Amino acid sequence: MIHLENVSKVYPNGTEALKNISLDINNGEFVFIVGPSGAGKSTFLKLLIHEEKATFGKIKVNGYDMMKIRPRRIPYLRRTMGIVFQDFRLIDKMNVYDNIAFAMRAIGQPEKKIRKRVSQVIDMVGLNGKEKCRPNELSGGEQQRVSLARALVNKPEMIIADEPTGNIDPKMSFEIMRKLVEINEKGTTVIVVTHEHDLVKEFGGRIIIINGGEVERDDRINTKYHPSDDTIFSNEEAVV
Amino acid sequence: MKLSSCGYLVKEGLKNIWNNRMMSLASIVVLVSCLIITGAAMLLSMNVTRLISGIGDDNQINVYLDYKMSDIDAIKLGSEISKIRNIDDCVFYSKEEGLKEFKDKLGEELYESMQGDGNPLGNVYKVRLADLSEYKETIKEIQAIDGVTSVSDRAAIAGTLTKLNRFVTLVGFWVVLILGIVTLFIISNTIKMTMYSRRFEISIMKSVGATNAFVRIPFIIEAMTIGLTAGILASAALISLYNPIRNTAAGMISLIGTSTIPLEEVWLQIILLFCGIGILIGALGGFISITKYLRKEGGEILGW
Repeated sequence: MIHLENVSKVYPNGTEALKNISLDINNGEFVFIVGPSGAGKSTFLKLLIHEEKATFGKIKVNGYDMMKIRPRRIPYLRRTMGIVFQDFRLIDKMNVYDNIAFAMRAIGQPEKKIRKRVSQVIDMVGLNGKEKCRPNELSGGEQQRVSLARALVNKPEMIIADEPTGNIDPKMSFEIMRKLVEINEKGTTVIVVTHEHDLVKEFGGRIIIINGGEVERDDRINTKYHPSDDTIFSNEEAVV
Repeated sequence: MKLSSCGYLVKEGLKNIWNNRMMSLASIVVLVSCLIITGAAMLLSMNVTRLISGIGDDNQINVYLDYKMSDIDAIKLGSEISKIRNIDDCVFYSKEEGLKEFKDKLGEELYESMQGDGNPLGNVYKVRLADLSEYKETIKEIQAIDGVTSVSDRAAIAGTLTKLNRFVTLVGFWVVLILGIVTLFIISNTIKMTMYSRRFEISIMKSVGATNAFVRIPFIIEAMTIGLTAGILASAALISLYNPIRNTAAGMISLIGTSTIPLEEVWLQIILLFCGIGILIGALGGFISITKYLRKEGGEILGW
Protein backbone atom coordinates (compact mmCIF):
# COMPACT_ATOMS: atom_id res chain seq x y z
CA MET A 1 0.00 0.00 0.00
CA ILE A 2 2.79 2.46 0.93
CA HIS A 3 6.28 1.90 -0.41
CA LEU A 4 9.16 4.31 0.13
CA GLU A 5 12.57 3.58 -1.34
CA ASN A 6 15.59 5.80 -0.61
CA VAL A 7 13.36 8.85 -0.29
CA SER A 8 14.89 12.24 0.49
CA LYS A 9 13.25 15.63 0.69
CA VAL A 10 15.26 18.82 0.49
CA TYR A 11 13.32 22.11 0.72
CA PRO A 12 14.28 25.07 -1.49
CA ASN A 13 15.94 26.76 1.53
CA GLY A 14 18.34 23.79 1.80
CA THR A 15 16.70 22.05 4.78
CA GLU A 16 17.04 18.30 4.42
CA ALA A 17 13.79 17.14 6.03
CA LEU A 18 14.03 13.46 5.10
CA LYS A 19 17.21 11.51 4.40
CA ASN A 20 17.20 8.33 2.38
CA ILE A 21 14.12 6.76 3.98
CA SER A 22 12.95 3.29 2.95
CA LEU A 23 9.91 1.56 4.43
CA ASP A 24 6.72 -0.30 3.57
CA ILE A 25 3.30 -0.09 5.22
CA ASN A 26 0.92 -2.88 4.27
CA ASN A 27 -2.84 -2.91 3.94
CA GLY A 28 -4.65 -3.10 7.26
CA GLU A 29 -1.69 -2.08 9.42
CA PHE A 30 -1.92 0.28 12.39
CA VAL A 31 1.22 2.39 12.48
CA PHE A 32 2.42 5.10 14.83
CA ILE A 33 4.88 7.60 13.43
CA VAL A 34 6.73 9.10 16.37
CA GLY A 35 9.44 11.68 16.72
CA PRO A 36 10.30 15.06 18.19
CA SER A 37 9.32 18.37 16.57
CA GLY A 38 11.24 19.03 13.37
CA ALA A 39 12.11 15.34 12.98
CA GLY A 40 10.48 15.11 9.56
CA LYS A 41 7.10 13.57 10.52
CA SER A 42 5.05 16.31 8.84
CA THR A 43 7.15 16.13 5.70
CA PHE A 44 6.61 12.38 5.66
CA LEU A 45 2.82 12.92 5.78
CA LYS A 46 2.97 15.65 3.15
CA LEU A 47 4.73 13.24 0.80
CA LEU A 48 1.99 10.66 1.36
CA ILE A 49 -0.81 13.08 0.49
CA HIS A 50 1.26 14.75 -2.24
CA GLU A 51 1.32 18.18 -0.67
CA GLU A 52 5.06 17.93 -1.26
CA LYS A 53 7.05 15.97 -3.80
CA ALA A 54 10.14 13.98 -2.81
CA THR A 55 13.46 15.29 -4.11
CA PHE A 56 14.88 11.79 -4.62
CA GLY A 57 13.70 8.20 -4.36
CA LYS A 58 10.58 6.22 -5.17
CA ILE A 59 7.18 6.50 -3.44
CA LYS A 60 4.06 4.48 -4.15
CA VAL A 61 0.83 5.13 -2.26
CA ASN A 62 -2.34 3.11 -2.85
CA GLY A 63 -1.13 2.19 -6.32
CA TYR A 64 -0.13 5.72 -7.36
CA ASP A 65 3.48 6.44 -8.29
CA MET A 66 4.01 9.71 -6.43
CA MET A 67 7.02 10.71 -8.52
CA LYS A 68 5.14 10.42 -11.80
CA ILE A 69 1.55 11.24 -10.82
CA ARG A 70 -0.12 13.85 -13.03
CA PRO A 71 -1.59 16.88 -11.22
CA ARG A 72 -5.10 15.98 -12.40
CA ARG A 73 -4.81 12.52 -10.77
CA ILE A 74 -3.87 13.91 -7.33
CA PRO A 75 -7.53 14.39 -6.21
CA TYR A 76 -8.20 10.73 -7.01
CA LEU A 77 -5.17 9.67 -4.95
CA ARG A 78 -6.52 11.72 -2.04
CA ARG A 79 -9.90 10.04 -2.29
CA THR A 80 -8.19 6.83 -1.21
CA MET A 81 -7.27 8.39 2.14
CA GLY A 82 -8.97 10.23 4.98
CA ILE A 83 -7.06 12.86 6.91
CA VAL A 84 -7.60 13.83 10.54
CA PHE A 85 -5.98 17.07 11.60
CA GLN A 86 -4.74 18.13 15.02
CA ASP A 87 -6.82 21.34 14.86
CA PHE A 88 -9.91 19.46 13.53
CA ARG A 89 -10.38 21.93 10.64
CA LEU A 90 -14.15 22.03 10.98
CA ILE A 91 -16.18 24.74 9.30
CA ASP A 92 -17.72 26.90 12.05
CA LYS A 93 -20.79 27.97 10.12
CA MET A 94 -21.76 24.37 9.30
CA ASN A 95 -23.35 21.92 11.70
CA VAL A 96 -21.98 18.43 12.37
CA TYR A 97 -24.02 16.85 9.58
CA ASP A 98 -22.92 19.40 6.97
CA ASN A 99 -19.28 19.29 8.05
CA ILE A 100 -19.26 15.55 7.39
CA ALA A 101 -21.43 15.75 4.26
CA PHE A 102 -19.10 18.44 2.90
CA ALA A 103 -16.42 15.80 2.18
CA MET A 104 -18.89 13.88 0.01
CA ARG A 105 -20.32 16.97 -1.68
CA ALA A 106 -16.77 18.06 -2.54
CA ILE A 107 -16.35 14.97 -4.70
CA GLY A 108 -19.75 15.31 -6.31
CA GLN A 109 -21.71 12.57 -4.54
CA PRO A 110 -25.53 12.67 -4.85
CA GLU A 111 -27.55 13.91 -1.84
CA LYS A 112 -29.36 10.59 -1.39
CA LYS A 113 -26.09 8.72 -0.99
CA ILE A 114 -24.75 11.48 1.27
CA ARG A 115 -27.73 11.24 3.65
CA LYS A 116 -27.33 7.49 4.01
CA ARG A 117 -23.57 7.45 4.46
CA VAL A 118 -23.37 10.45 6.82
CA SER A 119 -25.83 8.91 9.25
CA GLN A 120 -23.77 5.71 9.16
CA VAL A 121 -20.52 7.46 10.10
CA ILE A 122 -22.25 9.61 12.73
CA ASP A 123 -23.38 6.39 14.30
CA MET A 124 -19.91 4.89 13.89
CA VAL A 125 -18.17 7.71 15.80
CA GLY A 126 -20.93 7.96 18.40
CA LEU A 127 -22.28 11.41 17.61
CA ASN A 128 -25.96 10.51 17.37
CA GLY A 129 -28.15 13.42 18.44
CA LYS A 130 -25.40 15.96 17.75
CA GLU A 131 -26.09 16.31 14.02
CA LYS A 132 -27.40 19.84 14.27
CA CYS A 133 -24.76 21.15 16.68
CA ARG A 134 -22.20 23.66 15.49
CA PRO A 135 -18.52 22.89 16.19
CA ASN A 136 -18.36 25.55 18.93
CA GLU A 137 -21.10 23.70 20.81
CA LEU A 138 -18.99 20.54 21.01
CA SER A 139 -16.14 19.45 23.27
CA GLY A 140 -12.65 18.97 21.79
CA GLY A 141 -13.10 15.22 21.72
CA GLU A 142 -16.44 15.51 19.95
CA GLN A 143 -14.96 17.91 17.42
CA GLN A 144 -12.19 15.44 16.70
CA ARG A 145 -14.81 12.71 16.25
CA VAL A 146 -16.53 14.91 13.65
CA SER A 147 -13.18 15.30 11.93
CA LEU A 148 -12.73 11.52 12.07
CA ALA A 149 -16.24 10.98 10.66
CA ARG A 150 -15.43 13.36 7.82
CA ALA A 151 -12.22 11.41 7.12
CA LEU A 152 -14.20 8.16 7.05
CA VAL A 153 -17.23 9.23 5.09
CA ASN A 154 -15.74 8.57 1.65
CA LYS A 155 -14.71 5.03 2.68
CA PRO A 156 -10.96 5.57 2.31
CA GLU A 157 -8.45 2.72 2.18
CA MET A 158 -6.27 4.54 4.67
CA ILE A 159 -6.69 7.03 7.53
CA ILE A 160 -3.87 9.45 8.22
CA ALA A 161 -4.18 11.17 11.59
CA ASP A 162 -1.79 14.04 12.20
CA GLU A 163 -1.46 14.52 15.99
CA PRO A 164 -5.15 13.66 16.44
CA THR A 165 -4.94 13.99 20.21
CA GLY A 166 -2.81 17.13 20.29
CA ASN A 167 -5.66 19.49 21.16
CA ILE A 168 -7.76 17.34 23.46
CA ASP A 169 -7.53 16.13 27.04
CA PRO A 170 -6.08 12.69 27.89
CA LYS A 171 -9.46 11.02 28.45
CA MET A 172 -10.75 12.20 25.07
CA SER A 173 -7.41 11.22 23.51
CA PHE A 174 -8.04 7.69 24.63
CA GLU A 175 -11.53 7.75 23.11
CA ILE A 176 -10.21 8.93 19.76
CA MET A 177 -7.49 6.30 19.74
CA ARG A 178 -10.10 3.68 20.57
CA LYS A 179 -12.11 4.77 17.54
CA LEU A 180 -9.04 4.59 15.32
CA VAL A 181 -8.29 1.08 16.53
CA GLU A 182 -11.90 0.07 15.83
CA ILE A 183 -11.64 1.49 12.32
CA ASN A 184 -8.42 -0.44 11.81
CA GLU A 185 -10.10 -3.61 13.05
CA LYS A 186 -12.52 -3.27 10.13
CA GLY A 187 -9.63 -3.37 7.67
CA THR A 188 -8.68 0.28 7.10
CA THR A 189 -4.99 1.10 7.33
CA VAL A 190 -4.37 3.71 10.05
CA ILE A 191 -1.29 5.90 10.30
CA VAL A 192 -1.10 8.07 13.41
CA VAL A 193 1.53 10.75 13.78
CA THR A 194 2.05 11.66 17.41
CA HIS A 195 4.62 12.67 19.97
CA GLU A 196 2.58 11.32 22.88
CA HIS A 197 4.64 8.34 23.96
CA ASP A 198 2.11 7.28 26.61
CA LEU A 199 -0.56 6.68 23.98
CA VAL A 200 1.87 4.74 21.83
CA LYS A 201 2.87 2.55 24.74
CA GLU A 202 -0.77 2.03 25.65
CA PHE A 203 -2.02 1.06 22.20
CA GLY A 204 1.13 -0.52 20.82
CA GLY A 205 1.43 -1.90 17.30
CA ARG A 206 4.01 -0.88 14.78
CA ILE A 207 6.06 2.14 15.79
CA ILE A 208 8.24 4.04 13.35
CA ILE A 209 10.47 6.57 15.06
CA ILE A 210 11.71 9.37 12.81
CA ASN A 211 14.52 11.56 14.06
CA GLY A 212 16.65 14.04 12.16
CA GLY A 213 14.94 13.07 8.92
CA GLU A 214 15.88 9.39 9.27
CA VAL A 215 14.05 6.28 10.43
CA GLU A 216 15.64 5.67 13.80
CA ARG A 217 13.57 2.60 14.72
CA ASP A 218 10.86 0.53 13.08
CA ASP A 219 9.54 -1.86 15.75
CA ARG A 220 6.46 -3.69 16.77
CA ILE A 221 5.44 -3.59 20.44
CA ASN A 222 2.81 -5.60 22.21
CA THR A 223 -0.67 -4.16 22.21
CA LYS A 224 -2.07 -3.53 25.63
CA TYR A 225 -5.40 -2.34 24.33
CA HIS A 226 -7.97 -4.13 22.28
CA PRO A 227 -11.57 -2.90 21.79
CA SER A 228 -12.87 -6.17 23.21
CA ASP A 229 -10.61 -5.90 26.23
CA ASP A 230 -12.97 -4.91 29.01
CA THR A 231 -10.21 -4.63 31.59
CA ILE A 232 -9.12 -1.31 30.03
CA PHE A 233 -12.57 0.21 30.46
CA SER A 234 -13.05 -1.16 33.93
CA ASN A 235 -9.97 0.73 35.02
CA GLU A 236 -10.10 3.84 32.85
CA GLU A 237 -8.40 5.94 35.52
CA ALA A 238 -5.27 3.86 35.10
CA VAL A 239 -5.30 4.60 31.40
CA VAL A 240 -5.81 8.31 31.82
CA MET B 1 -18.84 16.41 -13.41
CA LYS B 2 -22.06 14.83 -12.26
CA LEU B 3 -25.37 16.54 -12.89
CA SER B 4 -26.25 16.17 -9.22
CA SER B 5 -23.37 18.51 -8.32
CA CYS B 6 -24.52 21.37 -10.56
CA GLY B 7 -27.23 22.61 -8.20
CA TYR B 8 -24.85 22.48 -5.26
CA LEU B 9 -22.12 24.39 -7.10
CA VAL B 10 -24.50 27.11 -8.34
CA LYS B 11 -25.93 27.50 -4.83
CA GLU B 12 -22.42 27.83 -3.39
CA GLY B 13 -21.52 30.47 -5.99
CA LEU B 14 -24.61 32.55 -5.22
CA LYS B 15 -24.02 32.14 -1.49
CA ASN B 16 -20.52 33.59 -1.98
CA ILE B 17 -22.01 36.77 -3.46
CA TRP B 18 -24.22 37.32 -0.44
CA ASN B 19 -21.46 36.51 2.07
CA ASN B 20 -19.18 38.98 0.32
CA ARG B 21 -21.87 41.51 -0.59
CA MET B 22 -19.96 44.77 -0.15
CA MET B 23 -17.16 43.78 -2.51
CA SER B 24 -19.68 42.25 -4.90
CA LEU B 25 -21.60 45.52 -4.92
CA ALA B 26 -18.40 47.50 -5.57
CA SER B 27 -17.57 45.20 -8.48
CA ILE B 28 -21.06 45.58 -9.93
CA VAL B 29 -20.96 49.41 -9.66
CA VAL B 30 -17.56 49.65 -11.38
CA LEU B 31 -18.57 47.18 -14.07
CA VAL B 32 -21.87 49.01 -14.70
CA SER B 33 -19.99 52.32 -15.11
CA CYS B 34 -17.51 50.69 -17.45
CA LEU B 35 -20.26 49.13 -19.55
CA ILE B 36 -22.30 52.34 -19.74
CA ILE B 37 -19.28 54.33 -20.93
CA THR B 38 -18.41 51.57 -23.41
CA GLY B 39 -21.97 51.42 -24.65
CA ALA B 40 -22.33 55.20 -24.91
CA ALA B 41 -19.10 55.46 -26.94
CA MET B 42 -20.22 52.58 -29.11
CA LEU B 43 -23.69 54.02 -29.76
CA LEU B 44 -22.27 57.47 -30.48
CA SER B 45 -19.86 55.95 -32.93
CA MET B 46 -22.62 53.88 -34.58
CA ASN B 47 -24.83 56.95 -34.92
CA VAL B 48 -22.05 59.10 -36.33
CA THR B 49 -21.19 56.34 -38.81
CA ARG B 50 -24.81 56.22 -39.90
CA LEU B 51 -24.92 60.01 -40.30
CA ILE B 52 -21.76 59.95 -42.38
CA SER B 53 -23.06 57.20 -44.59
CA GLY B 54 -26.41 59.02 -44.83
CA ILE B 55 -24.64 62.15 -45.99
CA GLY B 56 -22.50 60.17 -48.42
CA ASP B 57 -25.51 58.43 -49.90
CA ASP B 58 -27.59 61.58 -50.14
CA ASN B 59 -26.94 63.23 -53.51
CA GLN B 60 -29.15 66.23 -52.81
CA ILE B 61 -27.60 69.64 -52.11
CA ASN B 62 -29.08 73.04 -51.34
CA VAL B 63 -28.14 76.00 -53.53
CA TYR B 64 -28.74 79.29 -51.70
CA LEU B 65 -29.47 82.40 -53.81
CA ASP B 66 -28.91 86.06 -53.05
CA TYR B 67 -31.80 87.21 -50.83
CA LYS B 68 -32.16 90.41 -52.84
CA MET B 69 -32.77 88.49 -56.04
CA SER B 70 -36.33 88.68 -57.35
CA ASP B 71 -38.41 85.56 -57.83
CA ILE B 72 -38.32 85.97 -61.64
CA ASP B 73 -34.49 86.14 -61.67
CA ALA B 74 -34.38 83.21 -59.32
CA ILE B 75 -36.51 81.09 -61.66
CA LYS B 76 -34.28 82.07 -64.59
CA LEU B 77 -31.22 81.04 -62.60
CA GLY B 78 -32.86 77.63 -62.12
CA SER B 79 -32.65 76.92 -65.85
CA GLU B 80 -28.93 77.74 -65.76
CA ILE B 81 -28.41 75.23 -62.96
CA SER B 82 -30.38 72.58 -64.84
CA LYS B 83 -28.06 72.97 -67.83
CA ILE B 84 -25.06 71.72 -65.85
CA ARG B 85 -24.19 68.21 -67.02
CA ASN B 86 -24.30 66.36 -63.68
CA ILE B 87 -27.65 67.82 -62.52
CA ASP B 88 -30.39 65.22 -62.38
CA ASP B 89 -33.13 67.28 -60.80
CA CYS B 90 -33.54 70.92 -59.70
CA VAL B 91 -36.53 71.99 -57.57
CA PHE B 92 -37.30 75.55 -56.56
CA TYR B 93 -37.89 76.17 -52.86
CA SER B 94 -39.10 79.72 -52.28
CA LYS B 95 -38.06 81.96 -49.43
CA GLU B 96 -41.72 82.07 -48.30
CA GLU B 97 -41.73 78.30 -47.89
CA GLY B 98 -38.46 78.57 -46.01
CA LEU B 99 -39.88 81.17 -43.64
CA LYS B 100 -42.98 79.02 -43.06
CA GLU B 101 -40.75 76.33 -41.57
CA PHE B 102 -39.75 78.75 -38.82
CA LYS B 103 -43.31 79.95 -38.15
CA ASP B 104 -43.71 78.08 -34.87
CA LYS B 105 -40.36 79.17 -33.52
CA LEU B 106 -40.79 82.83 -34.52
CA GLY B 107 -44.31 83.32 -33.20
CA GLU B 108 -47.27 84.75 -35.10
CA GLU B 109 -46.37 88.41 -34.69
CA LEU B 110 -42.73 88.16 -35.74
CA TYR B 111 -43.65 85.83 -38.58
CA GLU B 112 -46.15 88.34 -39.95
CA SER B 113 -43.62 91.15 -39.74
CA MET B 114 -41.16 89.15 -41.84
CA GLN B 115 -43.56 88.68 -44.73
CA GLY B 116 -42.73 90.26 -48.10
CA ASP B 117 -39.64 92.47 -48.20
CA GLY B 118 -38.93 91.82 -44.52
CA ASN B 119 -38.07 88.16 -45.28
CA PRO B 120 -34.34 87.74 -44.50
CA LEU B 121 -34.12 84.36 -46.27
CA GLY B 122 -33.16 83.85 -49.86
CA ASN B 123 -34.65 81.45 -52.39
CA VAL B 124 -33.17 77.98 -52.55
CA TYR B 125 -32.81 75.28 -55.21
CA LYS B 126 -32.81 71.67 -54.02
CA VAL B 127 -30.54 70.04 -56.55
CA ARG B 128 -30.00 66.30 -57.03
CA LEU B 129 -26.76 65.14 -58.60
CA ALA B 130 -26.62 62.33 -61.13
CA ASP B 131 -23.12 61.14 -60.17
CA LEU B 132 -21.69 61.71 -56.69
CA SER B 133 -18.14 61.03 -57.84
CA GLU B 134 -18.26 64.38 -59.70
CA TYR B 135 -19.52 66.13 -56.57
CA LYS B 136 -16.68 68.67 -56.22
CA GLU B 137 -16.62 69.67 -59.91
CA THR B 138 -20.41 70.15 -60.02
CA ILE B 139 -20.33 72.28 -56.84
CA LYS B 140 -17.67 74.50 -58.44
CA GLU B 141 -19.79 74.98 -61.57
CA ILE B 142 -22.89 75.90 -59.49
CA GLN B 143 -20.90 78.33 -57.34
CA ALA B 144 -19.63 80.03 -60.51
CA ILE B 145 -23.19 81.09 -61.49
CA ASP B 146 -23.87 84.73 -60.69
CA GLY B 147 -26.46 85.13 -57.90
CA VAL B 148 -25.54 81.90 -56.05
CA THR B 149 -24.35 82.84 -52.57
CA SER B 150 -23.54 79.41 -51.18
CA VAL B 151 -23.99 75.68 -51.60
CA SER B 152 -24.55 73.29 -48.66
CA ASP B 153 -21.23 71.54 -48.52
CA ARG B 154 -21.99 68.04 -47.20
CA ALA B 155 -18.40 66.96 -47.74
CA ALA B 156 -17.31 69.38 -44.99
CA ILE B 157 -19.99 68.08 -42.62
CA ALA B 158 -19.02 64.50 -43.42
CA GLY B 159 -15.37 65.36 -42.77
CA THR B 160 -16.20 66.91 -39.38
CA LEU B 161 -18.28 63.91 -38.41
CA THR B 162 -15.52 61.53 -39.49
CA LYS B 163 -13.08 63.43 -37.28
CA LEU B 164 -15.61 63.25 -34.42
CA ASN B 165 -16.04 59.53 -35.01
CA ARG B 166 -12.30 58.96 -34.92
CA PHE B 167 -12.04 60.96 -31.69
CA VAL B 168 -14.92 59.08 -30.07
CA THR B 169 -13.43 55.75 -31.11
CA LEU B 170 -9.96 56.66 -29.83
CA VAL B 171 -11.11 58.10 -26.51
CA GLY B 172 -13.66 55.30 -26.13
CA PHE B 173 -10.98 52.69 -26.73
CA TRP B 174 -8.67 54.02 -23.98
CA VAL B 175 -11.49 54.65 -21.53
CA VAL B 176 -12.83 51.14 -22.08
CA LEU B 177 -9.35 49.62 -21.84
CA ILE B 178 -8.54 51.39 -18.57
CA LEU B 179 -11.94 50.72 -17.03
CA GLY B 180 -11.78 47.13 -18.25
CA ILE B 181 -8.47 46.59 -16.43
CA VAL B 182 -9.85 48.30 -13.29
CA THR B 183 -12.95 46.10 -13.42
CA LEU B 184 -10.91 42.96 -13.93
CA PHE B 185 -8.76 43.93 -10.95
CA ILE B 186 -11.78 44.61 -8.73
CA ILE B 187 -13.60 41.41 -9.69
CA SER B 188 -10.42 39.44 -9.21
CA ASN B 189 -9.96 41.01 -5.74
CA THR B 190 -13.57 40.23 -4.84
CA ILE B 191 -12.98 36.60 -5.71
CA LYS B 192 -9.68 36.61 -3.79
CA MET B 193 -11.52 37.88 -0.71
CA THR B 194 -14.15 35.19 -1.06
CA MET B 195 -11.44 32.60 -1.44
CA TYR B 196 -9.63 33.91 1.62
CA SER B 197 -12.80 33.76 3.70
CA ARG B 198 -13.35 30.20 2.46
CA ARG B 199 -9.77 29.02 2.72
CA PHE B 200 -10.65 26.32 5.27
CA GLU B 201 -13.27 24.92 2.97
CA ILE B 202 -10.88 24.98 0.01
CA SER B 203 -8.16 23.23 2.01
CA ILE B 204 -10.63 20.58 3.20
CA MET B 205 -12.04 20.14 -0.29
CA LYS B 206 -8.55 19.55 -1.64
CA SER B 207 -7.66 17.16 1.16
CA VAL B 208 -10.71 14.97 0.52
CA GLY B 209 -9.99 14.84 -3.20
CA ALA B 210 -12.10 17.55 -4.81
CA THR B 211 -10.86 18.27 -8.32
CA ASN B 212 -9.62 21.76 -9.12
CA ALA B 213 -12.57 22.23 -11.46
CA PHE B 214 -14.99 21.44 -8.63
CA VAL B 215 -13.29 23.93 -6.28
CA ARG B 216 -13.15 26.54 -9.03
CA ILE B 217 -16.72 26.43 -10.30
CA PRO B 218 -18.52 28.25 -7.41
CA PHE B 219 -16.04 31.13 -7.66
CA ILE B 220 -16.44 31.36 -11.42
CA ILE B 221 -20.23 31.30 -10.97
CA GLU B 222 -19.91 34.08 -8.41
CA ALA B 223 -17.83 36.23 -10.77
CA MET B 224 -20.05 35.50 -13.77
CA THR B 225 -23.17 36.39 -11.78
CA ILE B 226 -21.58 39.70 -10.80
CA GLY B 227 -20.79 40.29 -14.49
CA LEU B 228 -24.28 39.31 -15.63
CA THR B 229 -25.96 41.53 -13.01
CA ALA B 230 -23.79 44.44 -14.09
CA GLY B 231 -24.63 43.71 -17.74
CA ILE B 232 -28.38 43.74 -17.06
CA LEU B 233 -28.21 46.95 -15.00
CA ALA B 234 -26.00 48.72 -17.53
CA SER B 235 -28.22 47.77 -20.48
CA ALA B 236 -31.34 48.89 -18.57
CA ALA B 237 -29.68 52.23 -17.81
CA LEU B 238 -28.46 52.79 -21.35
CA ILE B 239 -31.74 51.73 -22.98
CA SER B 240 -33.73 54.09 -20.74
CA LEU B 241 -31.31 56.97 -21.42
CA TYR B 242 -31.00 56.40 -25.17
CA ASN B 243 -34.30 57.90 -26.34
CA PRO B 244 -34.20 61.09 -24.19
CA ILE B 245 -30.64 61.79 -25.40
CA ARG B 246 -31.62 60.99 -28.98
CA ASN B 247 -34.60 63.35 -28.82
CA THR B 248 -32.44 66.14 -27.40
CA ALA B 249 -30.00 65.69 -30.25
CA ALA B 250 -32.78 65.40 -32.83
CA GLY B 251 -33.00 69.19 -33.44
CA MET B 252 -29.36 69.36 -34.43
CA ILE B 253 -29.50 66.16 -36.43
CA SER B 254 -32.53 67.29 -38.47
CA LEU B 255 -30.49 70.22 -39.79
CA ILE B 256 -28.38 67.85 -41.80
CA GLY B 257 -31.39 65.95 -42.97
CA THR B 258 -30.56 62.45 -41.80
CA SER B 259 -31.76 60.42 -38.85
CA THR B 260 -30.13 58.56 -35.96
CA ILE B 261 -30.50 54.87 -35.13
CA PRO B 262 -33.86 54.10 -33.49
CA LEU B 263 -33.84 52.24 -30.16
CA GLU B 264 -35.76 49.31 -31.65
CA GLU B 265 -32.76 48.58 -33.86
CA VAL B 266 -30.21 48.39 -31.06
CA TRP B 267 -31.82 47.39 -27.74
CA LEU B 268 -31.32 43.66 -28.22
CA GLN B 269 -27.71 44.18 -29.31
CA ILE B 270 -27.09 46.30 -26.20
CA ILE B 271 -28.50 43.65 -23.86
CA LEU B 272 -26.68 40.76 -25.52
CA LEU B 273 -23.41 42.62 -25.76
CA PHE B 274 -23.47 43.96 -22.19
CA CYS B 275 -24.48 40.66 -20.65
CA GLY B 276 -21.88 38.87 -22.78
CA ILE B 277 -19.09 41.28 -21.84
CA GLY B 278 -20.16 41.20 -18.18
CA ILE B 279 -20.10 37.40 -18.04
CA LEU B 280 -16.80 37.24 -19.93
CA ILE B 281 -15.02 39.77 -17.71
CA GLY B 282 -16.45 38.04 -14.63
CA ALA B 283 -15.35 34.60 -15.76
CA LEU B 284 -11.89 35.88 -16.68
CA GLY B 285 -11.40 37.73 -13.36
CA GLY B 286 -12.61 34.72 -11.39
CA PHE B 287 -10.54 32.27 -13.37
CA ILE B 288 -7.31 34.27 -12.98
CA SER B 289 -7.61 34.53 -9.17
CA ILE B 290 -8.73 31.00 -8.44
CA THR B 291 -6.19 29.36 -10.74
CA LYS B 292 -3.37 31.15 -8.93
CA TYR B 293 -4.82 30.11 -5.57
CA LEU B 294 -5.36 26.49 -6.51
CA ARG B 295 -1.64 25.97 -7.04
CA LYS B 296 -1.25 26.26 -3.26
CA GLU B 297 -1.38 23.18 -1.06
CA GLY B 298 -2.37 22.43 2.54
CA GLY B 299 -0.94 25.01 4.97
CA GLU B 300 -0.20 27.45 2.15
CA ILE B 301 -3.95 27.71 1.48
CA LEU B 302 -4.53 28.57 5.12
CA GLY B 303 -1.71 31.11 5.04
CA TRP B 304 0.54 29.15 7.45
